[in-house]
Amino acid sequence: MNCEEARRQLPLLLYKELSFDEEESLEQHLAGCEACRAEFQRAIYLQRAVDDAGVELNSTLLADCRRRLRESTTLSSSGAARAAWQPPVPALFAMPAYLFKLVACAALIALGFFAARYVPGAQDAYGSLGSAPAPSRVRYVDPAGSGKVQIVIEETRERTLSGDIGNDSIRRLLLAAAVNSADPGVRVESMDILKARVASLDVRQTLIQALQHDPDPGVRLKALEVLRAAAGDDDTRRAVAGVLLADRNEGVRTQAIDLLVQKREPAMVGFFQELIRKEENNYVRMRCQKALHEMNASVEMF
Amino acid sequence: MVTRRDISCAISSPPVLSGNGEALVTLACKTAAGLDETGMIRAAQAGDQQAFERLVHAYDQAVLRLALNLVRSPEDASDIYQETFLRVYRSLPAFRFDCNFQTWLYRIVTNLCFDYLRKRKVRREEPNVVATADGPLDRLDAMAEARPYGDPQRQLLTGQLSRRIRDVLASLTPRERMVFELRHYQGMRLRAIGEVLGTTEEAAKNCLFRATQKMRAALGDFV
Repeated sequence: MNCEEARRQLPLLLYKELSFDEEESLEQHLAGCEACRAEFQRAIYLQRAVDDAGVELNSTLLADCRRRLRESTTLSSSGAARAAWQPPVPALFAMPAYLFKLVACAALIALGFFAARYVPGAQDAYGSLGSAPAPSRVRYVDPAGSGKVQIVIEETRERTLSGDIGNDSIRRLLLAAAVNSADPGVRVESMDILKARVASLDVRQTLIQALQHDPDPGVRLKALEVLRAAAGDDDTRRAVAGVLLADRNEGVRTQAIDLLVQKREPAMVGFFQELIRKEENNYVRMRCQKALHEMNASVEMF
Repeated sequence: MVTRRDISCAISSPPVLSGNGEALVTLACKTAAGLDETGMIRAAQAGDQQAFERLVHAYDQAVLRLALNLVRSPEDASDIYQETFLRVYRSLPAFRFDCNFQTWLYRIVTNLCFDYLRKRKVRREEPNVVATADGPLDRLDAMAEARPYGDPQRQLLTGQLSRRIRDVLASLTPRERMVFELRHYQGMRLRAIGEVLGTTEEAAKNCLFRATQKMRAALGDFV
């Protein structure tokens, strides 16, 4: 392998797209060629830089997209597009009467045949499940002595609960979803619904927990947005001030300032002045200065 | 009666607030690793709206990320997201499992992105930097970018490099860009990319090579 061939294959090596033999041959070349090794290091660096340049998914945008889609599909399912979902049963009734009778007879015979064949054994085969299990993952298979087999399957069961937000169970689920759901869209939607109950301590505590610890900046922004209604609450303000000092996202820090200035306290003046000295982001610093001007306070500390 | 155990269950789709103030919460009680995708598709084909939503949620983050990375505009990415899943919704009854669902979905979204990228080449390229009351703002900076923090010098360099990389990506041909996005950010294998784009693995490989070469040439000062 010469250097030109080797360099052509370097990106493919990084993306693990080479065959075993190609990889082997390239690695042998790299072991003996310093220039290509240096080029490989540059390719690794470039790949990491490209990783960093990727756009992070914004959970608020995701939640908006889902909401719009749900509205569109709900409209479609109740309107004309719904026809596309219907099984082609009406076509059956459009056929000539004699043909329809023939099809109906055949269907009845088939039904009788399969019912006789499967119904008596159904309880044995599926035990307490009561119906044939949907395709699921088989966890455990145990050949019993009597010739029967015991199979343990995993299955997901979905339940839909409906109730007022004031209902304890619903509220507990929403609080859990706001911080525990793996899906950032669900976390944002849960907070949006909890907005109406922000006066409750448990709701505020959950939002503060999300604001301090959620890995997704979009979710943290949503928590801040909902907490704005509780801007006068001391615990909330303390938590938001902490976030303003510690959060790595400029957007979150800016929104935190907006929340804090809703209640103009003299104690905030020193806090903002100190923040201006430490803040690295120009825009956040500008917002701090603006907040101080609105509070008729000096930007500098004396 | 909802027990404590239910709360540990995953909430499988975003809760919905109905007009009368009722919240509708769908739980997937986890005794399993997940519902089988084929089962979800069949249920959605039969008109099960919740199954359709779960199918969407299984893929929509990847679809939105792909659209965002390619079109670099939240509004346009959102439109592509809507159009993709509306097409899936309308065409799902005709889906016959001739190919992998993911491949089918990606064909839809990549075609929409191609259309967008081609149109944008014809139209005036939308500037990323827009004027606001608080001064010029890079639209992409308004988006969350949870990347290396701490060292201001590294932040500065990373910021400059990221901007250069975005510029280079924008200068690639739509096909090169698509292959690069699908391989680098979506982690798809070149063979699967070939299937999605209706081409061979070899052609996808060549596109990827050209894209990385262009980036390497344009980012010579940094790497």
